[in-house]
Amino acid sequence: MSLTLERIEALAPDQASLGAARKLLKPSSWPTLAEGDGLVWGECQGSGATPYRVVVSEEDAGYKCTCPSRKFPCKHSLALMWMRAERSTAFAPATVPDWVKDWLSRRRGKSTPASKTEGEAEPKPRPSIRLTEIPEAGADADPKAEQRAAGARERNRKEREAAVLAGLDDLDLWLADQVQQGMANFVAQTAQACRTIAQRLVDAKAPGLAGRLDALPTRLFTLPGSARPSAAIRELGQVQLISQAYRRASELPELLAADARQAVGWTVTRDALLNDSEALRLDSRWRVFAVLSEAQPDKLRRVETWLWREGSADGKPRQAVLIDFVPISTGAAAGGYLVGDQIDAELSFYRSTIPLRAQISRLNRGAEQSGEPLTLPNERLSNSYANYELALAQLPWLGTIPLPFRSASVRRHGEQLYLHDDQDQLSLPLHTSQTSHALPLASVGRVDGIGLWNGYEFTLAWAETHLGRWLH
Amino acid sequence: MNTTSLRAKVLPSLLAGTSRNPLPGELIRPSNSSSDGALEILSLMGQALRFERPSTPDSFIIEPEIEDERRIVADALRRPLIRLLTAKNATEHPARALARTFDRLRLRPHPFDLPLIDAFVRSNAEKLGSTAQHWADRQKPEAETQSYFDPELLDESNWAQATLSRRVAYVEQRRRDDADAARALLESTWAQEEADARFRLLQALQTGLGTADQPFLNTLEKDRAPRVRALAARFLARLGAGGENPALRGCLERIKQGKSGLLRKRTALELELPANVKDQAASRWILQTFTDVSFTELASALKVTNQELIESAAKDEPLLLALALITTNDQRLDLLELLVAHLPNAWERIFESGLATLGTMTESERQRWEETIVHPYRKDLPTSYFLWDWLHRVTDAAAPRSVMSILLKMELLMKVPERERGGGPWLEVIAAICPAPQRDELREQLAEFDQSQTVIPLALLDILDGMEKDRTHV
Repeated sequence: MSLTLERIEALAPDQASLGAARKLLKPSSWPTLAEGDGLVWGECQGSGATPYRVVVSEEDAGYKCTCPSRKFPCKHSLALMWMRAERSTAFAPATVPDWVKDWLSRRRGKSTPASKTEGEAEPKPRPSIRLTEIPEAGADADPKAEQRAAGARERNRKEREAAVLAGLDDLDLWLADQVQQGMANFVAQTAQACRTIAQRLVDAKAPGLAGRLDALPTRLFTLPGSARPSAAIRELGQVQLISQAYRRASELPELLAADARQAVGWTVTRDALLNDSEALRLDSRWRVFAVLSEAQPDKLRRVETWLWREGSADGKPRQAVLIDFVPISTGAAAGGYLVGDQIDAELSFYRSTIPLRAQISRLNRGAEQSGEPLTLPNERLSNSYANYELALAQLPWLGTIPLPFRSASVRRHGEQLYLHDDQDQLSLPLHTSQTSHALPLASVGRVDGIGLWNGYEFTLAWAETHLGRWLH
Repeated sequence: MNTTSLRAKVLPSLLAGTSRNPLPGELIRPSNSSSDGALEILSLMGQALRFERPSTPDSFIIEPEIEDERRIVADALRRPLIRLLTAKNATEHPARALARTFDRLRLRPHPFDLPLIDAFVRSNAEKLGSTAQHWADRQKPEAETQSYFDPELLDESNWAQATLSRRVAYVEQRRRDDADAARALLESTWAQEEADARFRLLQALQTGLGTADQPFLNTLEKDRAPRVRALAARFLARLGAGGENPALRGCLERIKQGKSGLLRKRTALELELPANVKDQAASRWILQTFTDVSFTELASALKVTNQELIESAAKDEPLLLALALITTNDQRLDLLELLVAHLPNAWERIFESGLATLGTMTESERQRWEETIVHPYRKDLPTSYFLWDWLHRVTDAAAPRSVMSILLKMELLMKVPERERGGGPWLEVIAAICPAPQRDELREQLAEFDQSQTVIPLALLDILDGMEKDRTHV
């Protein structure tokens, strides 16, 4: 059964979804549109850091989209069906990519419309494609209203600045208490202590610091008991450093001051970043070398898509990370991209001393799975680690950073795996979640690859070996 | 001041608390008038710790070198394999078919995939090569691990180092060629075998069992494992050398002998079920009661020949089931063929009994056994999923081509009632038992189904084809 407009109307959850889908019917919103084996799929740049991947089965109108929408089908799925039904846009014939195959192998089967239960209220009016053609009333710009809004924004900003500074004063007192009582004592009651101050910082509109302190107990508990007190010193030391840097931002270089503001919790919206003419932009081919997902205490899942810039080193950043936050309740555990995907895009980097976080500002072509190896620099692990130390000196609260390496080996000591550089006797402990998955690497000798170092553990992401490629 | 002296002077205070262990006064440099300088020391110490490199362990474990002669499965098949073996809603049938194919084609999974398909590897380690076995055994104490020797061909010099299933198959093969030499092989390693290995190897002695085996069996009467002692006693009883088989006495007590026929009186046998065994439990009771009795032993105790025993039981379905189970246990497929002429629904009756294994039958014997119990159904194969599910579990083999031909010709899958067809399981089990030459025909029939139901079966057929093609290109 092929897709028809009537069928799309029947599937649409509400009129608003159809209206939103209509706005996505422009082929320019879809860098990729393809078909094959009774399926159509595409990529659509939405408000997230990574484009959404959408697939629709023509036979039974089954669909899947990587966006976090709670509407089923979402506007992206509806738009893809719509374009297909109208046949107004060309879909390139292609072999079914892996992410589509993954969906196929996991789908539950034909979806049947929910049957109406007895006593159910009168059905809602059926969404109609015709109604989406009614032009929206144009919002006439009102200069006075805009002036009022700008004034309100400025007032809010000042209020927030004051609240943050008051929160930092509270934080200082709390930190002083922990120093007086000692880190051994802090570790014993870290969960309660951190929760309390994190809540106060949320009230003080400093969500960045709040999140850092909220996540601290989890971070400490992943470490061996003996390492926790010194890790607590490291973490609380960074919090104190951020707090000081924020207060004395005017004395700092511009980029470091921007880092401090971001660490405290001032966000830069995607639109603001894309409109920032001074933001660092890099138009290049990028490879996805890791996709990490982590549930946060605020019921959001943080999905990090780590990219490596292909080509030779030119002094510009070789790596970037796209970060998406999706509600845990949507069940989405991964971003739109798969490890190995190659993306031809322009990235805009958030202002930072060590630019890492970015947004896709222009997608030149849809992502393609590539079997080519990464163009890693000819550096040993110890060289990469030295670069990390240099970066740490520039940005003292630096978080996770990619470390490429050549000729390292995975070694085992008890149950713990290490990435080891024989030449310089540097051993980075692998993340405990990789104990089983990375174990086969302990038998393959030397490996080249890349991973993520967070100052405590190394998450191996990609390794080239004589047995082929290993991926996280 | 360097990091070491900072650490020595400051760390004890920060760990124990400055209220108990004040910071050294000379280090305190407050950043402003309202600060006591402790927080500045905290951030300085924290940053100094961040620059400390992780410590390298004194030594690392030397990983064992596992010799694995098998070829690694083609790269193109790795992702589909992982996808199939980790599919949430898949039954165990695709995994069984894949493990069999890995073993038959002497292929092995890629070492990097072992953690991703861990459950599959642990369930089928013996069929996946020595690297996979080593992986499956990684958490076992060293004393419990097996040999990881997996050569292509076994002989008398290396058979003892191979995996247990291959050793059993080898001994069985040797029993067919030279029963005494096979027994001598067993005797040579018997003292070093684990209980499970002793039991499974002893089962292989059933092939070509003769009086020459009696001295060896006599030595097993004092074996530490009760099941080995019981099996040896059963073999001895079969040879007429042991004491009276208590299981035989129990069976004979339940078999009533009579005469039937008008012109020519023939012996008629009937199995009397205990009064407390209800109808639905009868088959299971029969399996338990007759499992330790051999066909020849029973015939001789009833003073009839093997054929006469079948003829005499022809009118009594419970006794026919008992005999079907005994012939299966004895691997007497010639007698089973005679028997199913009187018990055309042997398949369903044996399924009801809960038979879980075909012992040491080879793959071709298991396929012949399947053919024997399925053929009486002719073109009216049953449409119960549970029967096919059980058949695949118990035979662990592809269906004989003749069985698959009937299945495809009668379009069995289309005849399964919609409510019973459910999702994938029906299609998965049929795909898993489909012999290679009939896969295309099955694909044509699968095309009639909803796409969502055929994802796993079709993926399985493609992977099996891919593995076979990959192997033939070597």
